[in-house]
Amino acid sequence: MNIFELSEPLHEILFFILEFGVIFGSLGVVLFTNIVYSAFFLGLVFFCISILYFALNADFVAAAQILIYVGAVNVLIVFAVMLINKPKSLKIFPSWTIGDKITFIICSNMFFLLVTVILNTSWFNITLITESKIFLNFNFTQNVQRIGYLLLTQFLLPFELLSIVLLIALIGAIVIARRENLIKINEKEKAPIEKNPTVF
Amino acid sequence: MLEHLLNLGAYLFCIGIFGLITSRNMVRALMCLELVFNAVNVNLITFSNSFDIQQTKGEIFAIFIIAIAAAEAAIGLAIVLAIYRNKKSTRIDQFNLLKW
Repeated sequence: MNIFELSEPLHEILFFILEFGVIFGSLGVVLFTNIVYSAFFLGLVFFCISILYFALNADFVAAAQILIYVGAVNVLIVFAVMLINKPKSLKIFPSWTIGDKITFIICSNMFFLLVTVILNTSWFNITLITESKIFLNFNFTQNVQRIGYLLLTQFLLPFELLSIVLLIALIGAIVIARRENLIKINEKEKAPIEKNPTVF
Repeated sequence: MLEHLLNLGAYLFCIGIFGLITSRNMVRALMCLELVFNAVNVNLITFSNSFDIQQTKGEIFAIFIIAIAAAEAAIGLAIVLAIYRNKKSTRIDQFNLLKW
């Protein structure tokens, strides 16, 4: 089933490169002062995560990740940065305040808590339970076909609700970002044009 | 392998929360929110690959989350543009328009 029919050390090297990209890319997103660098590092993180999905047999989600995140969300963020950005400081890394330090301590504690919970949970027992079911009835259909079948049978209602949410988000984004006084400016420009025939 | 990827998801989540709290620029806060969404997606895909090979329901939830994140990014950036047009700034601590 695996797309990457690679040998074990090659697989591990691929995972190592991808995790390196994700870890340093996300650090770059958070720590750089220049927000343009942050936007491009965010694209790197999305790309690495999508290759990770390919290696985890989720090819449809990987394609959706590249198309939606790298192609749409990241381009949208870069557009917003280009519209808004005013480069001020030349420092690469900002100085930390007390609040930043407290937040760093809290977040690193949360990370170590999560890591200890993950390492102490016995995932192997769960794998044994689920694998016994898998070998009973394993259907060899494609990943994309299975996702489409489930989306139109079991997850039909969330799927339709999601389309409504996307429509509302589209309309709402246009309504919020539209310039309000554009219509008034047009009316002001029209007024002298109408007066001109009376002058001549 | 499973614990490795779960640790990666936990790392992405924590660094996303850290950036979300400490960032002063609103666009950077939105970027860190996308990082948090991606951490959730990594966890879902990992569990779907390890425990639910038969049905891949985790991938469907990941697709839902991707769609919601796209809608959230569009709305959030529209709000940032609207606020920037009014106040000429994108600093989060200056957005007190609705303060009692």
